[in-house]
Parts: sequence; C-alpha cells; structure tokens
Amino acid sequence: MLKNLTHIHRPSTIEEACALLAAPDCKNIALAGGTYLAESPDTTIQGLVDLTGLELSYIRETGEGYAIGAMTPVQDIFKSKLLKGATGHLLKSAAGRIGSTLLRHSITAGGNLVSVFPWSDLPPALLALDAEVQIRKGIPKRTIPVQTLLEKNPRDFLDKAELVTEIHVPAYGATTGTSFTKFAKTANDYSLVTVAVRITVLQGLIRDVRIALSGCTKQPVRRQEAEAFLKGQTPTPERLANAAARAAQNLELTNDFRASKEYRSEILPVLIRRGIEDALRQIAA
Amino acid sequence: MNTKHTVAVTVNGKKYTREVVGHRTLLRFLREDLGLTGTKEGCGAGECGACTVILNGKTVNSCLVLAPEADGATIETVEGEAKNGKLSNLQEAFHRNHGVQCGFCTPGMLMSVKALLKEHPKPTVDQIKEAIEGNFCRCTGYQQIIESVLDATGQLKPKTEEMRRV
Repeated sequence: MLKNLTHIHRPSTIEEACALLAAPDCKNIALAGGTYLAESPDTTIQGLVDLTGLELSYIRETGEGYAIGAMTPVQDIFKSKLLKGATGHLLKSAAGRIGSTLLRHSITAGGNLVSVFPWSDLPPALLALDAEVQIRKGIPKRTIPVQTLLEKNPRDFLDKAELVTEIHVPAYGATTGTSFTKFAKTANDYSLVTVAVRITVLQGLIRDVRIALSGCTKQPVRRQEAEAFLKGQTPTPERLANAAARAAQNLELTNDFRASKEYRSEILPVLIRRGIEDALRQIAA
Repeated sequence: MNTKHTVAVTVNGKKYTREVVGHRTLLRFLREDLGLTGTKEGCGAGECGACTVILNGKTVNSCLVLAPEADGATIETVEGEAKNGKLSNLQEAFHRNHGVQCGFCTPGMLMSVKALLKEHPKPTVDQIKEAIEGNFCRCTGYQQIIESVLDATGQLKPKTEEMRRV
C-alpha cells in the first residue's frame, strides 16, 4: 500500500510540519498513529509527515479542564489518572472501547478525531463534552469547537497546511453525569451504534444536556432538538423515553453488512434512553 | 519512483540497518529484510494480533507500522525469548499448560504477555484478558493461555484430581 510514497519527513517543530504539509509540489499527509495510513490504498500520497517528534503526547490540567495533545495515544487517555469526574468518565469510557490494547497504543487522540470514521469512538464523546480543538498553521493558531470540525469531513475543513495540535475538554462538576455506549457485535468490532451523553441536573431540573451519536450515521452528530426538549425539564421516565425517540428520528442511518438501517432504527432509541438514564445515575454515584 | 529509506533498529538487543521502500511495514521488514520470521502475519489489518511486537516498550500491530516510522526504535520479538536453545519461563509455562495448539498466535500472544508482566508482574485474570484482547487464538479458547500466564507468575492453583482427568 502507499505504493507511490517517496518521502518520510520527521519534523521536530509544528512550524516545520505545517510547511511540509503546505508543499505545493508534493502531496504530503500528516502521519499520526498510522493505523489507517499504513494500509491505505491511496496512490496519490507522495510523502508522510511523521508527527512523533512534535512532543504533542500529553494530558494536562488547565483552568477550565484538560488539554490533550493530538499525538496522545488513546491508551494513555484510557489509563489516565489525571482525568477525573464526569469528563474523565466519558473520555476514558470512549478511549477504552477503541479497538484493542495493541491498536490503542498506536491510535492517537488527534488521529481518531481528524480521520473520523463512522466507527471512531472518541469524536462523539468530544462532541458531548463541548470540546474544542486548537489548530495550528505554522505559528498562527485558531481554536474551534469539535462540533464545527465535524460538520463536514475534518480533512476538508482543515487547510492543507493546518494541523490539529491540541484538544481542550472542559471539566464538569458533581451535578453532571456522563455515559458512553458502544453497541457492537464483539468487543473489538466496529460500532453499530454509539451514544455519548452528558447531563447536568440542578434542583431536580435538567440544566444542560448533550446527546451525540456515531456508528449509525456517516459523521458523528449531536441531537439538538432532543436536547432542547429535555432542557429545563424534570427527568421523568416518560420524558426521557420521548426525548430518546426524538433523538433517533430524522437521521440517515447506515445500512451495511453489519446491520440494516431498520435494525439500527429499532435499537437506537433504546440505547439513547439507557444512555441518558446511565448518565443520570452517574450524578447520583 | 520509490526512494529508499534507511531504517536502523535494535531487535532483541541486536542492531540492524537496512534500506527499505517507504511503504514497507515493520512486519515485512522483520520477516523479509531481517529474516526474523517468528512474528506472523494473520489478517494484515490490525485485527488479529499475530504480528504483535513490542515497539519501544509498547505492544503494537507491526502490520500497521511503517518500517521507516520505527527508525531508531528498540523492538522485541518472539526470537528474543528462548536463549541457547532453552525456552523462556513464559514459553515453558505455555508449553506446560497447553497454551499452544497450532501455534500461529503464540509469538504475538507471548509479546503481549511479556509487556504486561513488565508492568504487572502478578497480573489478575482481568489484566491478562485486557492485555491479550487484541490477540486472536482460534484453537485453544484462551483458558489455557490465561492459565499459562498465571502459572508463569506463580499464581496457578493446583488442579483438582477430577480436573486432571478431564
């Protein structure tokens, strides 16, 4: 694979990496964990820009939450002792469901987000957490919500010379609960339906809620209409079931050899409802 | 045009330098350029774990690592286990507990367990299961493999007479 690969660059600075990606005469692609690229049938790729030397593998506490370097292996997120609370619970649950131990050593946080596939597990969790990404284009940088990055294919959204370098994830207090569900045929298989939920309850009322789905749609999606339906309300079983049914509607569900769209549409509202219930239980816990 | 890349690695304590094309995987590099055929290719897509090696202390699917990515790395493979024709403790335990049947998954299985034991010298059954979750065995059914690891770490309880007969 990558039959026409002629160059492998190993830059040591972000500026250098961005300059290589911008090269007009050579199609250079950023190489993170490489689990997809190593087997890529793409014959147009001429060069790889190995990001290992950029020192982007870290998890740090910030004033608002956590900063996760784009090259952090997802296994480090799964095993992190620093990530705590509702944010830590959701990130670790999602990271721990990615592939196998072997794959998690290679797959990076940034790679899982930017090379988003229907079965990528981190993006829905980041959506539910209102995470942001820092994007560098040499020295200039911009910060955008993960939701904006995922509105279309991140590779199309990013300029050729841009690189996602860091993920910012807010920390949430004790009144917030989170839940991550990956429904797959085997522990290692790709997801048929993934549900990520974050919910905040104050004085018996839902103050804030996020419902994000993936696996069953082309791109990870947020279900804003169902979120609005829950906001400010009491979390009664009927309302939760109603919200879950709404969240499962108006979606172009995937229909493939793993599961038909009819099957996915049957299990989707059930998994969403259970996800919300589980997130609510996490508050109590 | 395929430019050659120099890849210098240390495998099981021995240094090697070879010129390879950019898309050479670490698995092919080990097997075909270095002649270390202990590491196997199963699916070639990161699903089965037959190609597991320890790369800079972490287990990876060597079929999904490009050889030039591993330039400068320290690698451990199954060839580093037996010394002077004598099996390692881990290999002995696999042998003793029938943790090997066809043997195709064993090189990868051993590397996953070796990395686990560095971190957890007395692993629990759950830790063993997590360490080998990416290593498929289609013969023995995992129980004997888990028992092999427990045995290697002095944690295997003696089987009852009834179980011995089975």
